[in-house]
Amino acid sequence: MDQPRTDPDQELVKRTQAGDAAAFDELVIKYTPRLYGLVYNMTSNHEDTNDLLQDIFAKAYKAIRGFQGKSSFYTWIHSIAVNMTLNFLKKRGRRFQLSLDDVDASIQNDREFMEATATSSPVREADLSELQRRLNEAMMKLSEDHRAVVTMFHIQGMPHAEISKILRVSEGTVRSRLFYANRQLQNYLDEFRKNPVS
Amino acid sequence: MDEFDDREIARLLRLKRYEQPPPGYFENFLHEFHRRQRDELLRQPIWRMCLERAHAFMLGLDVRSLTSYPAAVAAVLVCAAVISLKIYQQPETARVALQSPPAISTPVSAGEEWNLASPPVAPPILRMQPVRSFHESAQTHRAAPPRYVLDSVPVSYEPTFRF
Amino acid sequence: MSPLSGSKRSVAALALTFLSGGSLLFAQEQSATAISHQVKEIFERCSKAVVKIHGVDEHSEICGTGFFIDPTGTLYTAYTVGGEAGNFTIEFGGKKYPARQLLADIRSGTAMLKIDETTPALPIGKSEELEVAAPVVAVGYPLDLPETPNFGMIAGFDQKYLGRYFSMTHLRVNLPTQRGEAGAPLLNMKGEVVGIVVSSLENNSACYAVPIEAAEKIRSDFVRFGEARHGWIGGNVSKAPEPVDGSRAEMMQVMEDTPAARAGIKPGDILLQVGRKKVAQPEDVLDASFFITAGDNVPITVMRGNQKLTFHVQAELHPASKNVPMLSDGTRVPAAADANRSIPLKLESAAQTTP
Repeated sequence: MDQPRTDPDQELVKRTQAGDAAAFDELVIKYTPRLYGLVYNMTSNHEDTNDLLQDIFAKAYKAIRGFQGKSSFYTWIHSIAVNMTLNFLKKRGRRFQLSLDDVDASIQNDREFMEATATSSPVREADLSELQRRLNEAMMKLSEDHRAVVTMFHIQGMPHAEISKILRVSEGTVRSRLFYANRQLQNYLDEFRKNPVS
Repeated sequence: MDEFDDREIARLLRLKRYEQPPPGYFENFLHEFHRRQRDELLRQPIWRMCLERAHAFMLGLDVRSLTSYPAAVAAVLVCAAVISLKIYQQPETARVALQSPPAISTPVSAGEEWNLASPPVAPPILRMQPVRSFHESAQTHRAAPPRYVLDSVPVSYEPTFRF
Repeated sequence: MSPLSGSKRSVAALALTFLSGGSLLFAQEQSATAISHQVKEIFERCSKAVVKIHGVDEHSEICGTGFFIDPTGTLYTAYTVGGEAGNFTIEFGGKKYPARQLLADIRSGTAMLKIDETTPALPIGKSEELEVAAPVVAVGYPLDLPETPNFGMIAGFDQKYLGRYFSMTHLRVNLPTQRGEAGAPLLNMKGEVVGIVVSSLENNSACYAVPIEAAEKIRSDFVRFGEARHGWIGGNVSKAPEPVDGSRAEMMQVMEDTPAARAGIKPGDILLQVGRKKVAQPEDVLDASFFITAGDNVPITVMRGNQKLTFHVQAELHPASKNVPMLSDGTRVPAAADANRSIPLKLESAAQTTP
């Protein structure tokens, strides 16, 4: 990272604020894949994710005139996304409906995947997809707030500082939620390991 | 039997990055977004639509052509400003899939209430007093072993080269 | 009359070779023994001042390590241990003592706690004197085990990790660390503290330590003002296309109504030195910036065209010190003390009762 870190989206934001709708389109194209991962892993449902994403960008488009650049656009839009998703989930109550999407072929290139299958820990390929399914179930058992930090940290790869800004809680809170959530997930998967229900 | 540790959980979670929507989803997303924007416009009264179009039209013109019609320009801009304000204050309408009732009705605060000072966004420097709930949570969690602290990344973080 | 004959000469040569080889081996054994003696001696001397810290956060009890740096019970630890928990107790000399937080600073990754006892203390060294491959010792409390020595070497001096920049250069150390050792002191071979262990790298085979100078800067602010006083100049630095007088750090933006603007620094100026730190790359300003205290008069040298100019900039309080996030129960973490306050806050050591 040799460039200065001013907001890379600054130009597009300014153009959008000036009325250039095509600039906002570029932001939509850029952020949809990232926000998809974030929202989907919290809702575990493709249809809900799609609707939420549409609402998130609609809201962002309306609110962008008030965006003053005090944070980066990345943080701002993630904040909208997380908060709308949390609101949605909390109003809904706990859902246990999962939509299982196929793991993409690109997973084959992931070094972590190769390690997971090659390692001496007893995770064979057949087991791995079952394990993933159980992990999805375990994720849905977490509270929305815990699921949010797990998604942002482990799946989206965001640093604690960024998550803390987006959720507007202290970094200590982020860290201990992660720790607690990890433990819950571990317990659930251990249970599955000991009592596999086919 | 092997137990899952933090690293294994982290690895499994990381694999979830590859869970993808159906093919073509992202390509269609933008079209869908435009369609919904148009839908929303169509729900507005016609007079409002016209003024919106006028507003967009004015923004698209360059300055020189505007100077020939100062009064008209002023009128349209004033109307456009009023309309913009109205639209901005409209309540959220959720369009969630049919299988579930509309859920989102609370506008979420975004840009205006963002409290980070301008311009840097370096992490805050904190001073802390003990939080009230500590005593209570310590009791409920007494049975569990303590969390032995050693993070995987340092907390010190500067997002920019502003100083 | 003649000196040693040919055969006797070869015997002598052989004997000499064996002797020198033997003494070399002996010397190596001695230095290996010497190193282990040194490490053992440092551990025995210093572990008295290293303590186990217990605290309570939102979810559970937490445990970490810390160490005394003065005889009145002041101790340093990592921010992740002493920064956002409460109800601290310190295990020291076989007994437990309640401790209170004096100061926690996320930018440096450190925190200061205090107990009201007479204590041993570790001498403070200089991390600036360290070089890559310099041997170092750490003493920590891994998991629920007693104080444990650790030996390794400096692997590097890093300004960033996984693409994220630190607020100041961190020491990367090839020394295995375990959970519970956040806050452990990093010691040079003289037994002086040169860093504070703050995090581990992949698989715990290495760690990051904050240089002790960073913690000392925060402590010095605390002694003078009762709080950390991070300084602010008001500029934004980017990479210049060509190096100018050895530096590629260009002032891309000078914000309005800031110390830099008032001193006369202009966009386009190439930074050569900020305070005592020489600047060659944009990321060098992070180190320079961290050690500035609000109110300091900071000499900044720049190249403007062909001219070398020095400005004396009066640093202000960093805007980030005015921001406070919330704890998960909805209460706000209190902001840094008022600018006018110079007496340290007395923090309650007992938790507030829940309503």
